[in-house]
Amino acid sequence: MNIIETQNLTKTYGDFAAVSGLNLHVPKGSVYGFLGPNGAGKSTTMKMFLGLTKPSGGTFVIDGKQFPGDRVQILKQVGSFIEASAFYGNLTGEENLEIIRRILGLPKSSAAEALELVGLTPHRKKLARKYSLGMKQRLGLAGALIGRPPVLILDEPTNGLDPVGIHEIRALIRSLPRQFDCTVFVSSHLLSEIELMADSVGILNHGRLLFEGTLDALRFNAVSRGYPTDNLEDMFLAMIDADNRQRGGAR
Amino acid sequence: MSFALECGKVKRTGFLPAFFGGGFLAGAVPALNMLFRSEMYTGINDSPVSILLRANWQMISMLNILLVIVGACILYNIEYADNAIQRMRALPVSECAVFFGKTAVLAMVSVLLLAIEAVSIGGCAVYWFESDAGLYGEMLKNFSFFLLLMLPSVLASLLTASLCRNMWISLGIGVVCVFAATMIPARNFVLSLFPFAMPFQILADHTEDAVRNYRIAGAAETAGIALLEVVILKIRRLFE
Ligand SMILES: Nc1ncnc2c1ncn2[C@@H]1O[C@H](COP(=O)(O)OP(=O)(O)O)[C@@H](O)[C@H]1O
Ligand SMILES: [Mg+2]
Repeated sequence: MNIIETQNLTKTYGDFAAVSGLNLHVPKGSVYGFLGPNGAGKSTTMKMFLGLTKPSGGTFVIDGKQFPGDRVQILKQVGSFIEASAFYGNLTGEENLEIIRRILGLPKSSAAEALELVGLTPHRKKLARKYSLGMKQRLGLAGALIGRPPVLILDEPTNGLDPVGIHEIRALIRSLPRQFDCTVFVSSHLLSEIELMADSVGILNHGRLLFEGTLDALRFNAVSRGYPTDNLEDMFLAMIDADNRQRGGAR
Repeated sequence: MSFALECGKVKRTGFLPAFFGGGFLAGAVPALNMLFRSEMYTGINDSPVSILLRANWQMISMLNILLVIVGACILYNIEYADNAIQRMRALPVSECAVFFGKTAVLAMVSVLLLAIEAVSIGGCAVYWFESDAGLYGEMLKNFSFFLLLMLPSVLASLLTASLCRNMWISLGIGVVCVFAATMIPARNFVLSLFPFAMPFQILADHTEDAVRNYRIAGAAETAGIALLEVVILKIRRLFE
């Protein structure tokens, strides 16, 4: 069963299509890796899911709720983290989460739980403005995880973290479906990262989906097309390159 | 709920200190005025409150509007400075609720501001005019009038602040509006309906009919600007 499905989801800016005719199928209870180079349209897609930008065409369903009619219902189900730094700089990490907690009407303990999950408990009394890049990233993640929502939408959550932090957050994301019985839709521009976290992948380039399926299917696909399988990253690059060339080098 | 939430957001911004400081500054105006030239006023044949307001209200209301504008800028700057507004938009809360929560906060501190000033005016009346006959009734009538006429500028400055990501732009617009307002001749009814000019009006300067018209205008502008914000937010959604 798919918890997120899009039908021909499209976003154009003027005559430039940031996302075009996207048909995604995200299975419930999985980690779905949304992969693509910078500018592929990953953030734009995620922003459409949250109603932060209006689709130019197509629709989507999240957890049985149809956009745009059920936008508020969707927002209640979804914990999100879209691009770094969206917080009240004059408030501490704890106070930032407290605001979100009150809006969502969650029990008092949920803020502390979210802080603990992302390892921000020791810094909870610090002003968010004074956080390091990695700590801001963790605060954003905590804001998504608070209240254990059934759907998580995470946009490049490991950006700006140090190697230890990256490892920690990857392990956390990997464990979320089992721990909280949720679905994670996570984007990245690194196949190697998606490989470590995800069950399924969707590969996006210039706003179009090049591949969708499980990691095994991706490997199989690689073999059948004669790409090296020992290094999926190379295959990813080759796929993107082939797609770019097929567009006649335009753009 | 929005009100409590918005109160929580202004921590450490200097928002409350600004209003307390501004309130005491404004409250000092009539006291200093009386301290240095009480003989100019005590001889006038009118009610003490009217005399005091005629002598000081221009200055006080100017301070009030500037504080309201600064307050509105602070309230929205915390949303825009670190992009917190995006966090809010991705949560099940409408931007209108945020706006009206902020309106409630700014209206509350405006009441606080007027209360400090009322204490000062009342104190001056008792101390220099040595009479408090009918003082409370007159004060209540005057200051409820001031509050009503202040609401349009509260909403107008929040509307401006909500539309400008850059706080300095909304601050600049606000200051220009205040200076435009001070140039409007107070006797011209239509021009004095400009939201930022309304707070300069005092009861004693107007007939009962004019006062009623100002009350209606104040309420209508408050509702009108609120409605305008709701419409603007709806339209803005369509273009994002
Ligand atoms: N508001 C906007 N106006 C115009 N173009 C935009 C806007 N937002 C994004 N884009 C363009 O859409 C494309 C996809 O961007 P984005 O979704 O942020 O990519 P990704 O997150 O995959 O790196 C980019 O080429 C970007 O320049
Ligand atoms: Mg992005």
